Amino acid sequence: MIVTVTLNPAVDEEYLVSNFRLGRWFRAEAINRSPGGKGINVSLMLKQLGYESIAMGFLGGFSGEYIREKLRRAGIITNFVHLREETRTNIFIVDRIGKVETGISEAGPYVDERSLNRFRRDYQRVLSMASMVLLAGSLPPGVPQDIYAELISMAKARGVMTFVETSGAPFKYALEAAPFFAKVDHRFMSELEGIYFTSLDNMIRILERIASMGVDYAVISYKGYGDVFLTPQGLFLAEIPVRELEGSSFGAGDALMAGMLLAFLERMPVEEAIRFAMACAWEDMRHIEKGISGRDAVEELVPRVSVERL
Amino acid sequence: MLVREFMDRDLTSVGPECTLGEAVEVMNRHRLSGLPVVDEEGRLLGYISESDVIRAAMPGYVDHLKSLSFVPDVGQLFRRLRRLSREPVSSFMTREVVAFEEDDHDMQVALEMLRRGLKRAPVVREGKLVGVVSRADLLERIMLEGLEVDG
Repeated sequence: MIVTVTLNPAVDEEYLVSNFRLGRWFRAEAINRSPGGKGINVSLMLKQLGYESIAMGFLGGFSGEYIREKLRRAGIITNFVHLREETRTNIFIVDRIGKVETGISEAGPYVDERSLNRFRRDYQRVLSMASMVLLAGSLPPGVPQDIYAELISMAKARGVMTFVETSGAPFKYALEAAPFFAKVDHRFMSELEGIYFTSLDNMIRILERIASMGVDYAVISYKGYGDVFLTPQGLFLAEIPVRELEGSSFGAGDALMAGMLLAFLERMPVEEAIRFAMACAWEDMRHIEKGISGRDAVEELVPRVSVERL
Repeated sequence: MLVREFMDRDLTSVGPECTLGEAVEVMNRHRLSGLPVVDEEGRLLGYISESDVIRAAMPGYVDHLKSLSFVPDVGQLFRRLRRLSREPVSSFMTREVVAFEEDDHDMQVALEMLRRGLKRAPVVREGKLVGVVSRADLLERIMLEGLEVDG
């Protein structure tokens, strides 16, 4: 069983606005409202690819109930700790004519000590049913910065494979616990230990540092439509032939993680796994709605992903 | 229709060492009238409901009364409730729990729930909690199916 942990979920609201500019009043041409937060997105995408998962974390208020109900209707197993405060909302403005995307996110509700301990107990219990766990996204106020490191150690003690995606201090702490797979959330992180994500050489240096900490696999996005992968079989640069944005790229990183989890579950060889995960990300980018249209749609794109050994 | 088609795959539950006070807080935040009690591996041990908590605070003879208006001292009840808030769930939970399996049929579940007056019941797979069925979900599914059959 795959477990996804989203400590700071959100309701994602995507507004389609042509020629969006600052300081003006606009009427949205379309709105997409969906449950969000990285782990939750991955659970929904795994379902679209035909896999069950357990979604965990914190939910609160009306937004929390909305998310729970959506996950329930999608047939996803849930085990959230409910908070008194309201789950946050993330706003995305997609301008298809100007080809720009703008995102604004809230910090999220405060997590009190009792709720955090309740989560720890639930997590420990759910690990007994898990083979893989994904820890993803930002931390809400009240949660210690080294929580992912703690959750990685708990999972490793039970022989559960750990996947982590986040940024800043929580990411640095997580690396110290040596997860199996680490993905840098580059939206909120531009350097690691003073090395900036600006050139391919720098990316390689960063990935080598990550490898030296005992991490088996890692990935960083490079430019817009490529990713650099660290694997036990070496470094790979993967690219998709996209020249301009067709839909929306907000869910692409999560689609990549969903693809990776599935690839490891199905024991795909490394290059095939990278190709499959990239095709998942690409499929997500082809439409405004976040998510993957299905396994067939992904398989069609797989041969068009280029993977080069570095 | 099978349980797996209408069950709620939610694993919200408490451990046997959880205090009654905390269990009530979880019920309130999740808007549930009761919770499955499970061990560290998710095996079902019992069920704790609001009624179990109230019953625990009442003097023993209350079960024999038809109406709570005969309870002599509400202040005493409140004091007992506050004292009980630190007691573990395991002392007051129902141990003989009616639980269903994912392959059980709706008819069987409906009959059992009606006979015992249950609103919610846990669903288990090899003794481990995998979700819950509720009377409301069951009613909705049966009635919607009726609408579809009628065209």
